[in-house]
Formats: sequence, C-alpha cells, structure tokens
Amino acid sequence: MLVLSCCLLSSAAAVSAEDMVRVEDMVLVPEGSFTPFFLKRDATNSSSVPTTAVKAFWLDATPVTNRKFQEFVNKHPDWHKSNIKKIFTDSHYLEHWQNAQGSADAADLDKPVVNVSWFAAAAYCEAQDKRLPSTDEWEYTLTDNERDKENLQKQIIGWYSVPNKELPAVRTKPANGFGVFDLAGLIWEWTADFNSYMAPPDSRNSGDKTLFCGSGSLNASNLGDYAAFMRYSYRESLKGNFTGKNLGFRCAKDAK
Amino acid sequence: MKNHLKSKLLLSLLLTGSFLAASFPAFAEDLEHHHQHETAPSTPDLSTVSTDSLFNITDSWTAADGKAFQLSKLGGKPTVVAMVYTSCQYVCPLTVQNIKRIERTLSAAQAGKVNFALFSFDPERDTPAKLTEFAKLHSITSPSWVLAQGNESAVRKLAVTLGIKYKKVQSGDYEHDATISILDSNGVVKFQADAMNKNIDAAADALKALLH
Repeated sequence: MLVLSCCLLSSAAAVSAEDMVRVEDMVLVPEGSFTPFFLKRDATNSSSVPTTAVKAFWLDATPVTNRKFQEFVNKHPDWHKSNIKKIFTDSHYLEHWQNAQGSADAADLDKPVVNVSWFAAAAYCEAQDKRLPSTDEWEYTLTDNERDKENLQKQIIGWYSVPNKELPAVRTKPANGFGVFDLAGLIWEWTADFNSYMAPPDSRNSGDKTLFCGSGSLNASNLGDYAAFMRYSYRESLKGNFTGKNLGFRCAKDAK
Repeated sequence: MKNHLKSKLLLSLLLTGSFLAASFPAFAEDLEHHHQHETAPSTPDLSTVSTDSLFNITDSWTAADGKAFQLSKLGGKPTVVAMVYTSCQYVCPLTVQNIKRIERTLSAAQAGKVNFALFSFDPERDTPAKLTEFAKLHSITSPSWVLAQGNESAVRKLAVTLGIKYKKVQSGDYEHDATISILDSNGVVKFQADAMNKNIDAAADALKALLH
C-alpha cells in the first residue's frame, strides 16, 4: 500500500516532497487559503476575492474504516452499540454492524465506518490524540489548491447525483494533490464545526447580520459553487446525534 | 431576528424536504434517519445519570470564581442554561435580561431551587475575571447563578448537544444562536426557546413545572 500511494502521490505536481511527509496514515496539508463559495458572491464588485486562510495541519489520508473504529470500540466499550448513551446518538448507531456481538463484518473492515454520530466521531479522534477537522480545513483540502479543478467538480457532481450503491473500500481511487484519499465519491464526512453559520468573516454585530440565506446562494452559478452549496446545506441539516448510511469521518491534528 | 429565523427555517425546509430528497436519492436515506430518532423523553432514573442527560458530558470548565466546574454539578435542581460571550454587544445582554425575567417570575422559595448557568463561547477572552465583571455588570449576585468558560472543544460539544449553531468570525466575535434551554434536575433538556423571544411565559411555565 505504501508503494502504491507513493506512485499516486508522485503524480501531484507543484507540491514539494517535504510537504508530503506522512506519519502513519496522516498527510501534512500545507498552509494556504481558499475561497468558500458563499464569499464569492460578494466579491464581484471588489478587486480582491476574499479568502479564508488555513494553517498547516495533519489530516488522515483516508476516512476512518470499520476496522479502525472496531479497535476503538474494543478499547472503549462505552461506545459499543449496546452501551452508547442516548444523548450521543440516534437509534441507528453502527446499525450496519449486524452480527450478534455488534461488531463489524469481516467483509466491511476496509470500508469507511458510517452510521456514527458527531459525538462518536469526536470521541474516536480524541482517543487517538487527534480531533475532527474544521469545515474550513476540510473544504480547503477538497479544493486541492485548484489542481485539476474541472475534473474534480465533474466527479463531485456526478457522485452527488446518483444514489449510493454499496460502499467501496477506502483508497480505491487516486489521492488528490495533497495525498488525501476519498474526499469525494465515497461518503459525507463530519467536521468539528458542522454546526457553524456560513457567515462572512468580516460580519459583525452578532444577532442581526447578513446570514447566508436561500436566495443568495441559489444564484451560485458554477458547478463547484453548487456542489459546495450542497455540502454546506447538508452539514447545516445535521445535528450532533444524527447518523447516516453515507456519513462517516476522518481525523485531523494541529501541525506542531 | 424573527426574519432571520424565518428565512433559516424556510431554507431548511426547502433543502431538507422536497429538494434534496427528491433530486438526490443519496440524501433521502439519511433524512429518514433524522426523522426516526425522535423519541419521547423517558422518565429519568434517579439512581443513575440518565443516558440522555447532559451530565454524560464530562469536560471540565472553569467558573467565574476560578474553580473547576462540571456540568454534573448542576444536578439536583432544574437549570436555565444559555451560551453567551461577554464582549457580545446586543444579543447576549438581552439573553441575560430575559433569563432574569424568568427568575423574577419565581417566588423566593422557588428561586432557591433553580440553577442559572451561562457558558461562554469565547475561550480566549472570557477569563474568570471577565466573567466576574460581566456578572457584576448585569447585577448577578445570587449564588444560584454560575458563569463558566471552557476550551474550544468543550464549548463546541456543549453547543452541539444543545443544538446551538455558532461560528467565530475574523473580528474575534461570534455569530451564534441565542437559545435558552431548561434542564430538569437530571440534566435532561426539557424545554428550549429563542432567547430573544420577549414572551418568557412558556419558559417560566416549563421551569415551574419542574419544581412541582
């Protein structure tokens, strides 16, 4: 697998070797910035497009798999499906783990874990001395410094528009330019601050401000914005105890 | 504020209802999940912490007096909870005022049987000293009140649990929902309302119902 990912990574132009240092299964995503789609609509009349800066951080190269999550549950029985506290999940927690022990099927071990609430995802990351990525970190990694942008957008839209079939294993498609796998095409992923407003960074006066609203966003004209709109809207619809058949996560860590 | 809530509601309805479910089958299953999980609140078991209690969250906070504070310390009495930050100009002072209006509807005997808790969104600026200053500014002197600050992760976890959306903006301020929650003596959320709502009767009634 290491050899394979080396080859895949080598296709990423414009990223220096030291940006790609891997520790276990994490990738160091270099600092940079991106423009969240909800800022673009304000940028048409100004000379500079506002961007959101992201500091360098470590990100799991793939979503957390059933195998890894099983290891976590074994060590932390509080998070076994028969023990999990009601406040931390809806009734569908790990419902695809259907055997008598409530453990993962052997055939699913390399597939991303799904049917996990935000609380379970956050607890998993904390147990690894990691954290969930912020929405900004996640979105920045997806934009991949705009490498191969058109292709990425087509891929994302293609995926959003078809019902999910059976989940494939992680790492079955090439990594992006940062060396990160499966950001699009596999599952939706929790972020630490999924319960954020999509507020422009310069807004003030909490309470009565221009929040992102339907009419503004529906003007989003390009495919990338549309896809981003779908993601932000999906996150907006979530609550911390929700689970979903296509909703999993990966962990991040500060680069220090 | 009302308009803002209305447009948010409209957006959510539009999105999570017909739009996503109809055009994107991948969403439909998740949404089904979302709706099935709503179960009636169960009777809390007094001998142990109820599994849907906030007290299952074990993060450590720091109270205005500088002492460590955990959510489970709110046990034994119903609690009125809100999240605020002290440099907030408008929404948070109003939230506090509305909680105090709820407090004023209680008799002296009742008021002693209720906790009032304010948790800060702002781990950087809201030191215990700042919280003390804020309490003073709002004439909060009763020992029934607690103001506390926690780290980023504790704040996020409490907000997620209470269903409160927030985001730190570049100025260092916070965009946030203003929500008043009422917990029973076991830490189970029994009532929530928009903190900007001038009509506090429903909140006061929900609180009094927990006092028997």
